[in-house]
Amino acid sequence: MRLIIRDDAEGASTYVANYIINRINTFHPTAENPFVLGLPTGSSPLGVYKILVEKYKAGAVSFENVITFNMDEYVGIPRDHPESYHTFMWKHFFSHVNIHPSNVHILNGNAPNLEAECVAYEDAIKRAGGIDLFLAGIGEDGHIAFNEPGSSLASRTRVKTLAYDTILANSRFFDHDISKVPRMALTVGVQTVLEAREVVVIILGQRKSLALQKCIEEGVNHMWTLSSLQLHPHPMIVVDEDATLELKYFKSIEKVAMDAGFEQILPSKVRTGNGPVPQTKVEEVSSPTILAPQPTTSRLLRATPATEYPIRSVSPDLVPDRMASRIPEPHLTDRLTPNPEQQTVQNPITA
Amino acid sequence: MPIALSPPFRPRPGLTKFTNCRLLRGDKLVHEDLWVSSVSGKVVNSQAAFFDDLVLPDQTIDLGGRIVSPGFIDVQLNGAFGFNFSTLLDDMSQYGKKVKEVQKLLVQTGVTSYNPTITSQRPELYQKALPFLGPSGHLQDAEDGAESLGAHCEGPFLSPTKNGVHNVDVLIEAQTFEDLEACYGKHNLTPRAEGERIPIKYITAAPERGQMMKLIPELTARGITYSVGHSEATYEQASEAVGQGATMITHLFNAMRPLHHRNPGIFGVLGIAESLPRPYFGIIADGIHLHPTTIKIAFNSHPDGFILVTDAMHLVGLPDGAYPWTNGDTTCNIVKVGSKLLLENSDTIAGSSITLLECVNNFLQWTGTGIPHALRAVTATPAAMLGLQGVKGSLDAGADADLVILSEKQTPGQPSTLVLDEVWKFGTRVHRAVHDS
Repeated sequence: MRLIIRDDAEGASTYVANYIINRINTFHPTAENPFVLGLPTGSSPLGVYKILVEKYKAGAVSFENVITFNMDEYVGIPRDHPESYHTFMWKHFFSHVNIHPSNVHILNGNAPNLEAECVAYEDAIKRAGGIDLFLAGIGEDGHIAFNEPGSSLASRTRVKTLAYDTILANSRFFDHDISKVPRMALTVGVQTVLEAREVVVIILGQRKSLALQKCIEEGVNHMWTLSSLQLHPHPMIVVDEDATLELKYFKSIEKVAMDAGFEQILPSKVRTGNGPVPQTKVEEVSSPTILAPQPTTSRLLRATPATEYPIRSVSPDLVPDRMASRIPEPHLTDRLTPNPEQQTVQNPITA
Repeated sequence: MPIALSPPFRPRPGLTKFTNCRLLRGDKLVHEDLWVSSVSGKVVNSQAAFFDDLVLPDQTIDLGGRIVSPGFIDVQLNGAFGFNFSTLLDDMSQYGKKVKEVQKLLVQTGVTSYNPTITSQRPELYQKALPFLGPSGHLQDAEDGAESLGAHCEGPFLSPTKNGVHNVDVLIEAQTFEDLEACYGKHNLTPRAEGERIPIKYITAAPERGQMMKLIPELTARGITYSVGHSEATYEQASEAVGQGATMITHLFNAMRPLHHRNPGIFGVLGIAESLPRPYFGIIADGIHLHPTTIKIAFNSHPDGFILVTDAMHLVGLPDGAYPWTNGDTTCNIVKVGSKLLLENSDTIAGSSITLLECVNNFLQWTGTGIPHALRAVTATPAAMLGLQGVKGSLDAGADADLVILSEKQTPGQPSTLVLDEVWKFGTRVHRAVHDS
């Protein structure tokens, strides 16, 4: 897990936006081999979208061959409702860039059959070749997408009822009237996110500092669903200074790592496209709801194994030596034995 | 949910996106994109077009921060470019041709729809001319230029003592609705078949004359707006007319009793004293008809009813000099000096020769009210007066895509003035101004 700390929200957002642009450009997406991007909504990624739009307008990136999958959508509010995630994405991102509408995927919260909608969504991700980079934010309770505390870490795209805390938090977008806040949402599952080839999370502000601490400094726990990221081979968390309030982990670590040449290391094929569709070794769950209890942890541990690790050439090579070589040669007169050569033969000391 | 991976690119012809622009929305200029379609001729709900129709714009136009306003609406225009709508021609088929010529030129001034206005005339003229002046937008042909929203009959049921330049000899009284039909022609007032558009959109008449007060509901029932004007009405009479359904005042302050502190006259109905709805009112901001301060007082008394009109004569754009003018039965001369029009050998103002954009700029200079309010007075407010809110004078999705693109010319220490750059009608560019700079 990489943790990137920047002084403020602007700095963190810029880092994430530049990282995504870099990934897309290095990937050289084509119509046959598009870059598949997972996208969140909410206040945390707003700055990232803003910079992505600016960079697009400046010609630094094209979304021509980018396919997107959004994390979630409310159930039962009109698609064009000002608070729907369709509207959010349209307003803050899609209307400003050259992404083709056919390449955009957002769960339909008004589908006649919500279960079928979720199954179709997982299929669509699979058909697109899996998600190359899933951008995410988290809630104050550490939820990723609408996977509220207590969500199964093996969950897939499904209907979720929202936690009361989330409803309260969202009421500010619905005239502070709790009765107007949708109670249900469609969301990708924790497992759906973990199957992405790379996950980048942006976490901003002191309010989320406890969640950040729980997710990266404590164990994998379904009460803080982001903590499942610890099981992913290529997670990156980008935060601002305020979000680190509860951490024991410090900014200086990144500096040391940079000096030593450590960066986000991805297998070259993942980085440059034409990558293999991730082979999940989980037995397929035929429906989005889990029909029979399954050994969660072991499945997760086997999910999306890092099949190919690049050789870290920057790591110093191990040069074996012998302890004796580190001891300075004593003066002839100080020798304990008059005939050391003979002794060496008798007691060969090898490193 | 669209789940195609490599979609065939299916552009919908005629979709234009304006970006990096300021849109007039209500009382604000907002930084938003605007999508219009030349196929439907409407402003497009871009979000729905994207998610439902899976379409992208054919062209994106970066306006560099300029203003997009709905096209201007002039609800009182007597003629322009040498043609007076109150004219009888020997061959009336030529009349229709003339109207079309005027419309093609008029649109280049930013006026995308208007009410051709006939001053007080003999019945024969109304009956022959009105069929050419009815609503013309149903074909949605951008090439037609400015669109008539229906004729405005200013007279002849006016007060002989508030006639202005109207010929007193042709002014008459109405006792019954048949009297109106006898003057304007039955089919110009009542549709022959259901759904047929009648040529007349609104009528200016003095409510105190004859039985006009009682005829107001019969007019409004036909979708015809009743406007109080050229009238000796007292405050009480004007209030009664509003109670009967009058929703407009024609060129407020001109050709009516002035505001008197013991009887505020027609202007008084803007005071909400009788808990009646306040009517809309037309204001000629040419610097001749009204003092700038008077305009500001009128605006502040009822901003939502404030409509800028030109009341322009057909002499707009012609050089200074004396022009013969047939007024009812008589022919006299109108002397044009600059934008000032006077009856020869008198001080009587004979309409104006100002463009609507000049009125907007005058209003901006005199009141410093701000661009959104000034633009509303020639877009959303006149559209609402005509019952066309959300269709004309609006940039909301579903409204007709009649637009003007304006630059803001800044002068230090003064309110900025607006310069017309482009005119769009039904989602198609119909005029691009050439600025000499």
